[in-house]
Amino acid sequence: MDILSDSADMSAYVDGFMWVLRLTITSAIASFILGVILAGFRVSPIPVLRGIGFLWVSAFRNTPLTLIIFFCYFALYSTFGLKFSGNITINNFWLGVVGLSVYTASFVCEAIRSGINSVPVGQVEAARALGLTFMQVLRLVILPQAIRSTIGPMGSVLIALAKNTTIVGTIGVIEASSVMKGLINDHGDQVIPIFVLFAGTFAVVLIPTGYLFGWLSNRYEVKR
Amino acid sequence: MDSSRRHPGIVAVAVVVLVAVLGFVSACSSSSSDSTQSAATGDGGIIAKAKTGKLIIGVKADQPGLSLLTPDGYEGYDINIAKIIAAGLGVRPEGIEWKTTVSINREPFIETGVVDLVVATYTINDARKKVVAFAGPYYTAGQDLLVRADSTITGPEDMAGLIACSVTGSASALRMQKDFPDVQLQLFDSYSKCVTALSGGVDAVTTDSIILAGYAAQPHNVGKFKLTGREFSREPYGIGLAKQDVAGCNRINEILVASAADGTYDAAFVESLGPSGLKPPVLDPAQLTNCPTS
Amino acid sequence: MAEQQALIEIDHVNKWFGELHVLKDITLNIERGEVVVLLGPSGSGKSTLCRSINRLETINDGEIRFDGQPLPAEGRSLAKLRADVGMVFQSFNLFAHKTILENVTLGPIKVRKDKPAAAKEQAMALLKRVGIDSQANKYPAQLSGGQQQRVAIARALAMRPKAMLFDEPTSALDPEMVGEVLDVMVSLAEEGMTMVCVTHEMGFARSVANRVAFLADGQLVEQATPEEFFADPKSDRARDFLAKILTH
Repeated sequence: MDILSDSADMSAYVDGFMWVLRLTITSAIASFILGVILAGFRVSPIPVLRGIGFLWVSAFRNTPLTLIIFFCYFALYSTFGLKFSGNITINNFWLGVVGLSVYTASFVCEAIRSGINSVPVGQVEAARALGLTFMQVLRLVILPQAIRSTIGPMGSVLIALAKNTTIVGTIGVIEASSVMKGLINDHGDQVIPIFVLFAGTFAVVLIPTGYLFGWLSNRYEVKR
Repeated sequence: MDSSRRHPGIVAVAVVVLVAVLGFVSACSSSSSDSTQSAATGDGGIIAKAKTGKLIIGVKADQPGLSLLTPDGYEGYDINIAKIIAAGLGVRPEGIEWKTTVSINREPFIETGVVDLVVATYTINDARKKVVAFAGPYYTAGQDLLVRADSTITGPEDMAGLIACSVTGSASALRMQKDFPDVQLQLFDSYSKCVTALSGGVDAVTTDSIILAGYAAQPHNVGKFKLTGREFSREPYGIGLAKQDVAGCNRINEILVASAADGTYDAAFVESLGPSGLKPPVLDPAQLTNCPTS
Repeated sequence: MAEQQALIEIDHVNKWFGELHVLKDITLNIERGEVVVLLGPSGSGKSTLCRSINRLETINDGEIRFDGQPLPAEGRSLAKLRADVGMVFQSFNLFAHKTILENVTLGPIKVRKDKPAAAKEQAMALLKRVGIDSQANKYPAQLSGGQQQRVAIARALAMRPKAMLFDEPTSALDPEMVGEVLDVMVSLAEEGMTMVCVTHEMGFARSVANRVAFLADGQLVEQATPEEFFADPKSDRARDFLAKILTH
């Protein structure tokens, strides 16, 4: 195959996946933190916080990511002037991270919430009966078990996130799918191999990721 | 839950990766062979296909003035040109099946016979000539900048540090990157987003003048934007068809020459892009030399 | 003065689950050092009553006082009250992600603010007392039901509670494990622990309880010493109940 024999094409390919990696890692960290906080909101005894958590999840989980990313550029940046950097690529990267994180956090929140629901209510009662406060029950009894039973679903969320980063291409971060479009435009005779190369790269990285999370999930499963 | 753990293990992972890699390699090695199939057109080429009274023509759907899908159907300059060619081949407008294409699927659509012809701001270049045949050019555009009406930008040299907007993977974007590396490039998947962002976020939109003129002439944009009027490239637009259809290619060139003579060629432009202020092109038969020779 | 006052005072308590009136005007005092067994057919409200003493169930009407203080509604003061009332559940409810030792030290360290070393020492002593000290580093799922329930008792005792609530502590156990749990409860009672027990173990009620309270349909039908209650129940409901369980 000759597309990768051209060093410019090769470096475009590598750059594209580096952007996917950067977007994935940054958004994964941000959405995990945000998702844990939101999950805490959703199970908290305070109605206002429960409401915020519910609204967040309902709003962002049910909005197409394309629209959210579009909104980040055209509303946050274009209209309201939110600017992270004078460098447009860096700026678009962070706009993308904002969009990916608010969206993915809603899935993280729901994964953790279902993890929380999987902790037997009896253990929560036992913890309360010992005199632990709500925050202590959450921190010491519920979350450690919830997060373990969330490892599997979290793997799916991470894999979806990695693939979703390609949507940030629509606001101008030259990630893998944008590079792919460019290469196809330049090499119209090699559409299929280029496609297979990019899809294959995702698969080669993400399939083992799926297995890793499956293994971790078994390894750290709480035995009941 | 008991402790009966399964071991998906390293073997399964290795197998999956191996299959993925093998599949990838085999797909690569088998696909660079020339694609000679042409399901829609068949071996007889477009002349034979036109005898059935039907043609499938790939056009863009999102370029005002040139080729825009509206509730009333497709309209614009490319559509008018496509109708002239269809008529020249003996196909009535009702016999044309329009098919929306985007920049990246034009070659694949021709190669795999999804469409018979492509009339879609399709710049003739050598890389593409390896895969498809080009009749024309029927128009020669040039890359230009669309800026806000009050902008002082007169060309890409004025834009160091500023933001120009174009479409991911387009020839215009690549040219900006290569020739004007000081200009920051915002990339979207469509020019309409670029034009939206021109109101806030980017300083110029760059692509072929004729495309920009179409956006500038849209009713809701009139008076807000202007072209700098300095083209810094040549983009000859051709009509794409299957590479082996030499007869069909030559026939289209004859149709273009005839239409220039009877005035329909001129009318096609005036009807669609007249309001943009661009001058109608004059067809130069001496340039219709892009058809394959064998 | 406090010597005269009952440790747990249940004063005209009513509770509804929607339309269902599950506790009907119940008044019951439990003295310091007293062992009270709550008996009754299933659905009689005995578990609900037991759980309302540390406010795992809220009540709609009436008042419950512990050590002279009405039960706080929420927050830290409620948590503080719960720390003084040990509870043992039917389904053990050990923390599945923590070792046996950690289960027993969690409350003392986090609620009583004991030093970890002191908490561990106390925990090992309690585990030794219930006969599980050799399993201290295992996880709950590795223990039998009887062992888990003994750990649950140790966990509750680690808080140095003023009273212990037992909500059907042996009902989820295989028969051969009931004895080991009852043995621990008997020894607690002998030490003078104030205990409220919901149980179907008539042997335990007969030999250990100071008093038996019989509930049916949410009402406290009668209360008496076990000798009186088992020999000569006053109400038809109690006679009925005893006839059913003692014929088998």
